[in-house]
Amino acid sequence: MNLLLGQILNGIATGMLYALMGLGLSLITGVLNIPNFAHGALFAIGAYFLVSVVGLLGNFWLGLLVAPIGVALLGLLIEYAGVRRLYAAGHDYQLLFTFGLALILNELIIVIWGPVGISHLPPAILRGGVDLGFTFYPKYRLFVMAMAGLLVVATWLFLEKTRYGAIMRAGIENKEMVSLLGIDIHWLFTVAFALGAYLAGIAGALTAPIRGLSPGMGVDMLGIAFVVVALGGLGNLLGAIAAGLLIGVAQAVVAAYWTEASTAVIFAVMAAVLLVRPQGLFGIR
Amino acid sequence: MRALVLILAAVVLLPFIVRPAIASEIWIFAIFGLGLNLLLGYTGLLSFGQSTFFGSAAYVAGYLLKHYAIGVFAALGIGVAVGAISALLVGYLCVQRSGLYFIMLTFALNQLFYFIAYQWTTVTGGEDGMPGVPRPAMLGIDFRDPVAYYIFVSVLFLLSLWLMKRIVDSPLGKILQGIRENEVRAEAVGYHVPRFKLLAFVIGGAFSGLAGVLYAMLFGIVPLEAIGFVTSGNVVFATLIGGSGSLYGPIIGSFVFIWLSESMSVVWARWPLLLGVAFIVVVLFFRGGVVEAWDRIWRFSKRTT
Amino acid sequence: MALLETHDLSKAFGALTAVNAVSLRVEAGTLHSIIGPNGAGKTTLFNLLTGTFPPSAGRIVFDGSDITGTPAHRIAHLGLARSFQRTNVFPAFSLLDNVWLAAFACSKSWRGLLWRRADRYPEATAQARAALADVGLGEKADQPAREISHGEQRQLELAIALAAAPRVLLLDEPAAGLSPEETRRMVALVRALKGRYTIVLIEHKMDIIMNVSDRISVMHFGSLIAEGTPEEIQRNAEVRRAYLGGVAA
Ligand SMILES: Nc1ncnc2c1ncn2[C@@H]1O[C@H](COP(=O)(O)OP(=O)(O)O)[C@@H](O)[C@H]1O
Ligand SMILES: [Mg+2]
Repeated sequence: MNLLLGQILNGIATGMLYALMGLGLSLITGVLNIPNFAHGALFAIGAYFLVSVVGLLGNFWLGLLVAPIGVALLGLLIEYAGVRRLYAAGHDYQLLFTFGLALILNELIIVIWGPVGISHLPPAILRGGVDLGFTFYPKYRLFVMAMAGLLVVATWLFLEKTRYGAIMRAGIENKEMVSLLGIDIHWLFTVAFALGAYLAGIAGALTAPIRGLSPGMGVDMLGIAFVVVALGGLGNLLGAIAAGLLIGVAQAVVAAYWTEASTAVIFAVMAAVLLVRPQGLFGIR
Repeated sequence: MRALVLILAAVVLLPFIVRPAIASEIWIFAIFGLGLNLLLGYTGLLSFGQSTFFGSAAYVAGYLLKHYAIGVFAALGIGVAVGAISALLVGYLCVQRSGLYFIMLTFALNQLFYFIAYQWTTVTGGEDGMPGVPRPAMLGIDFRDPVAYYIFVSVLFLLSLWLMKRIVDSPLGKILQGIRENEVRAEAVGYHVPRFKLLAFVIGGAFSGLAGVLYAMLFGIVPLEAIGFVTSGNVVFATLIGGSGSLYGPIIGSFVFIWLSESMSVVWARWPLLLGVAFIVVVLFFRGGVVEAWDRIWRFSKRTT
Repeated sequence: MALLETHDLSKAFGALTAVNAVSLRVEAGTLHSIIGPNGAGKTTLFNLLTGTFPPSAGRIVFDGSDITGTPAHRIAHLGLARSFQRTNVFPAFSLLDNVWLAAFACSKSWRGLLWRRADRYPEATAQARAALADVGLGEKADQPAREISHGEQRQLELAIALAAAPRVLLLDEPAAGLSPEETRRMVALVRALKGRYTIVLIEHKMDIIMNVSDRISVMHFGSLIAEGTPEEIQRNAEVRRAYLGGVAA
């Protein structure tokens, strides 16, 4: 029983990270109307940036601050130099572009950081665990839960309560309106991509001390981000959280009894949900 | 007619130019591309999960070939069936959504099959792949001889091409193109669009399955990548560079792609990086596919000389 | 006998009731027009009749059987064909292929769907050619739809509906965006079809309506506010207030 409760907590922590990934992807895909197959690679780069920054500066917190910003800048560059030229090109070429980018980033990771997995310790203050009564639980995971929750809330506040957020939501729902309001749509696209990349980057950075790093981590996460968006709906914040928690918890619970199936179960859960609700959890489009 | 002559000439000449194994791979990949293009070019459905059907067929038929010594034709039949059935399952979930959701779903379900293959090591060998897939002799022909196998593959390729031509020239071909052109109108004149999309999926899956079995027998192994996303991406890439607008596009694309990846893989172990660069260069500069690229290079060389 | 009836048919989009308890009877063989200002819910009514989406409430009866909730692709096979207000064709297809697709959909059998050449269906092809000839596009059968003029595209729109050999034609503003000359041609076309089909016609232009209709229903804010012969409608005070204003006075 306690094992199960512990696993559910684990599931909530990873589920929140999945929600972050889905949210970032949702911003990019929704606002720019492109399939972003590089989203997983951005996640992986976030994790590797963290390791390098921590290695250079010896401070986890600085790493957590700087690494995602680096990823956001990378996103900015990708949008500005590449994606921007493809808005009229059709999803097939857009996909090929982002997929090619994913291949390149993935291989660059191997070239720069090596093909072998790296493990990374949480900062000293977050090592060890706390007694929650029913289980002894790692501090770092509690931190991740709080941090991811904070980021989700911040994103929600940004989207719902600020002018820029309102523009961004309008960009998802009705692009014509954005142009009618006299807002430079290119600017909106660039910011949305950078923001989505930031969320992917920070999710990657937060994941590093939990799961360690490996070049394949990006692709695995890409599929998961797709699941979150397919179930939660584009631009649907609550949907992303619900979908993220659903698959995070399902994965953690299954992992306790049948480790081998713990990744496949994410996609199996998605298939099962879609069988019953083809339009996703909240029935959007 | 001219296309047919060209293809026949290519079939005959190819093994004299490249190793028979590579030549076989080109036609196998072309069959795979033909299946995808029914979805991508004709129906307008960008499936990024075709390796699901390719890989599933390769694993199932490969396993039966290895452990139950089934015949070559049985293996082909089983591969086609597995390809079609897996496409039916995946397609059923995907055709209910459209646009970007559709693309993401094909990929996510591809991942489902990938992770099953990855973890089910007792059957698939996991990351090491499933080696030891035989090429049993049939009617006294020893398919272990690369040239004999090449001829076998070529005949199946020509058969596939003929079959696909029949399909795209049939009412079904028209209906699928109608769906690509205008889904709402296709529905309004009386076609159940999701059902037809599903049919396209199943046919495309059958072709992918055939390609998968031939691939497993060609290399004697089913590598894990056979069911991975890179394979799905490669067939999309090949079809697009060949031109998804015509029946023959995937064949040209298969040539270019296999040649490209073969030559890059001898250059550098990290050749997927070069492949990624190639994707981006094509997308940014040669979006019309090889036909347009050829045209541009031609004009450029005329200007410089 | 009424061929097509609706009983208290309603459709709500969120807070907006686009069609509100509409009860309509279309007699077989007549041309029944539906008029009303922009946004009155006329197109939405067609969308309900053709199964584009299900109604929020009410029933649709066609030839004595309840067809409420039947999906669009089945409706076409029952013999209800529609044309769209905004041209909705297959742009890359030739005109013949555009029409052929509709003719084949409703042909008696789909035998050979996967293996017979599409041009080996003489019956569907003949029907398609006849439909093109009916709207005066016989000469342009091999041109791609995206290359013909707007007026011709409106005619093609009509031909696609005709090709299915329907029992009821639902025409949504066939003269939308046409020049006066093109409009005259379209009116002549619709008039020629009268009697051959039961027609439900949505139209904006009063002169057309008053000329060709057997009966007219007037929609306003989703509701039917009047029904009658053209003369009755012209005399109806409420209609004049709500819709006609000074136009037809
Ligand atoms: N799919 C839809 N979703 C939401 N509102 C719609 C939809 N279709 C039509 N409407 C609304 O319903 C009302 C009636 O529209 P419509 O039937 O097109 O009117 P008409 O054809 O009489 O001009 C309009 O206010 C329109 O905005
Ligand atoms: Mg209208």
